[in-house]
Amino acid sequence: MTDESEADAILSVRNLEKHYPVRSGLLRRVTGHVKAVDGVSFDVHEGETVGLVGESGCGKSTTATSLLRLEEPTGGEVYFEGEDITEYGSDDEQAFRRRAQMVFQDPNSAFDPRMTVGESVAEPLGIHGLRDGDRQRRIVEDLLERVGLSADDADQYPHEFSGGQKQRIALARALILNPDLLVADEPVSALDVSVQAEILSLLDDLQSELGLSMLLISHDLGVVRQVCDRVGVMYLGELVEMAPTEELFANPQHPYTEALLASIPDPDPRNRGDAVELTGDVPDPSDPPSGCSFHPRCPRVVPPADYDFPEDSFREVLDFRLSVENGDVDGDEFASPADVRDEFDLPPELPDGDADAVISAAIEDVLAGDTGAAADRLGDAFETVCEREAPELVETDAGHPAACHLHGAASEHAPPELSASDDD
Amino acid sequence: MPSTELESARFTSIDWATESGGWRSVRLRTAGLVAALLVVAALFTYDYVVAPRELFEFLDWDVTRIDWLFLVSTVLFVRYAVVPLAANRDRAASYAAEFARRPAGVLSLGYILAFGVLGVVGPEWFGLARVDFGTKLQPPVFATFDAADVWPYTCVGNSVGDVCHGTWQYPLGTTRVGEDMVKLIVYAIRIGLQLALSAAMIMVVVATAVGTAAGYFGGWVDDVLMRYVDVQQTIPAVVVYIVLATMYLGQGLFALALIFGLLDWGGIARLVRSEAMQRRTDGFVRAARSAGASDFHVVRKHVIPNSTATIVTALTRQIPLLILAQVALAYLKLNNVAYRSLGEVLLRGLSGNPVPWHQKWWIAGFITLFLVLTVVSFNVFGDVVRDVLDPQSEVA
Repeated sequence: MTDESEADAILSVRNLEKHYPVRSGLLRRVTGHVKAVDGVSFDVHEGETVGLVGESGCGKSTTATSLLRLEEPTGGEVYFEGEDITEYGSDDEQAFRRRAQMVFQDPNSAFDPRMTVGESVAEPLGIHGLRDGDRQRRIVEDLLERVGLSADDADQYPHEFSGGQKQRIALARALILNPDLLVADEPVSALDVSVQAEILSLLDDLQSELGLSMLLISHDLGVVRQVCDRVGVMYLGELVEMAPTEELFANPQHPYTEALLASIPDPDPRNRGDAVELTGDVPDPSDPPSGCSFHPRCPRVVPPADYDFPEDSFREVLDFRLSVENGDVDGDEFASPADVRDEFDLPPELPDGDADAVISAAIEDVLAGDTGAAADRLGDAFETVCEREAPELVETDAGHPAACHLHGAASEHAPPELSASDDD
Repeated sequence: MPSTELESARFTSIDWATESGGWRSVRLRTAGLVAALLVVAALFTYDYVVAPRELFEFLDWDVTRIDWLFLVSTVLFVRYAVVPLAANRDRAASYAAEFARRPAGVLSLGYILAFGVLGVVGPEWFGLARVDFGTKLQPPVFATFDAADVWPYTCVGNSVGDVCHGTWQYPLGTTRVGEDMVKLIVYAIRIGLQLALSAAMIMVVVATAVGTAAGYFGGWVDDVLMRYVDVQQTIPAVVVYIVLATMYLGQGLFALALIFGLLDWGGIARLVRSEAMQRRTDGFVRAARSAGASDFHVVRKHVIPNSTATIVTALTRQIPLLILAQVALAYLKLNNVAYRSLGEVLLRGLSGNPVPWHQKWWIAGFITLFLVLTVVSFNVFGDVVRDVLDPQSEVA
């Protein structure tokens, strides 16, 4: 409660955790945890829009539902105007529900098919004790007009509206209690592109008109860029970078952010071909990789200091090593060492003779059918800091925090120099 | 009074401290339900304490156990089926329009409405069938009966030699003791209605409570309730009925409605449960929860209303089975009703006394026809109701 940044923040999330137990066996013992959200911290200031981006399954939506206590967080604190809402009793919680509202992704299932739109929008009023039908009606009609529908629409049923209209109605329902904080979980991802723009500008208008603070969750960087003041990038339950929107787009400090930005289609044909491509699969959140959870896919993974790798060439070596360790490599499938190098995009000879000797020996092992020895050999030689230590979210030279060994205290791990990457 | 100025930049602001809801928010229909149940309770007390023989002397009506059960069921039926439809005219009209587009739906609805009306007023209107040996074994209208083997025999209509022609006086003929088949079937409708509504109300209440709790809360609640349902479904209600009714409760309609109502809801509960599990993750439930709704609010306003189609459809499968079970039990002389059950009539109609059953075919024939029509109507009605009420089709 003494953190100075909480002073003007309407919402402060500190080390939020949501772990789901994994049960197995006859006795349903807890055998592990899915760390959907694992220590996320950020602030939302008054009147500000903060975005959370990341691939699906990275814990964005769970962050939203657990910071609103729609699901009980398993750890961490959430301060709303300086009060820890995780400590709230039922009366305080009810008051909090009036001040923080949520809009969900799919507008098609957002309304009870047996209620008119007016009844649905007025429902929060009834829940909080305003049951006078005429007053409800006045408030609903006013709101429907503000979100761009007509007052008469209150008597229609949800199936009579299009997706975009339903999302407007969902906004009306979220705003009817006059909240201070709006959490929007993928508010436009179920809509057509043309409708997305309308809803986003409506959100923008309402926000400036009402002085709302907003947390917007999206996998679409374009959406985030349009409405957010600051953006947090999430990967596998952790926040890896947080920056003002323009800065994040101009000067990303985390390789994952770079990869996300590169995935935005660029209409300029001259810019094709230099995209950062992610290799490997999204890891299983119940068994996250050690160290930096992004290291199995990171294009800029830090090479071990004992060897000399030219820029980015360590990625292929690490991919080869991980495949061998996972037992995905079968020596019988390859005729010669060159085949193996081809398969894993390894160059015929690495510039560093010592490193190449290790690789060659490992390939011999693989061809001899001894994958275990190859795995040991590669593991001993090519261990990277990224798998040993989890990077902290620290301030970078660019002026905003990122969680990567290429920055801060870990900068002795030296090249490739990430901050220069925005020139290429 | 908080500000309700609509033109302000902020939305209408509400002073929540003054909005407590309170007694004024109790709806008229809830008050009506409580009042009606209180009236029934008062009448019951009066009947039990003051006038054990006859409650309504002018009606000459000694109110029995099944009548009380039926009264309570009727009150619940009116509150949860008739009132909502009457209050929400638009919705009722759209249902009616949907029904009108399906001829099978209109026919089955017509039959069920007639069934309901005849069940309530039929026996008083048409009177009860009387034993009169002077009119025994009259054939139905437009049919004939060769009375050569029956003596003494009086033909009400025209007779040519031994062959008796049917008349409009007994359009469906009479039994071997001269009871009018029309009146017998009308009385059977009364029995069917009392049994169906009473048992159905018990089933709906229990199945909805169990199914919703299991599906909505999940976890150990679900495990416990559904394992109980598993156990219960292995015990046929009819066996429990035979044991309990013979030993304790008496083989009346009350025992039948109570035991089937309390033991035959497993299938409905299962359907309601799966419905509730789906609703639990729906957007509107999550939205209500994020607005601060309690579990009770969500279940009452969203989960149960969206399960109506499932419940009604499942009931229309159960009701004909109940009616058939009653007839079957009466045929086996395991169920007695105040007057005549179709089961007994069928038993006598199929006996060879005084003529083989095919010579008095109209007795078994019309009973079968009545049962078939009833079962088919309820089943067709259930299908159409499912289509008309299905919330999924409205979501899409």
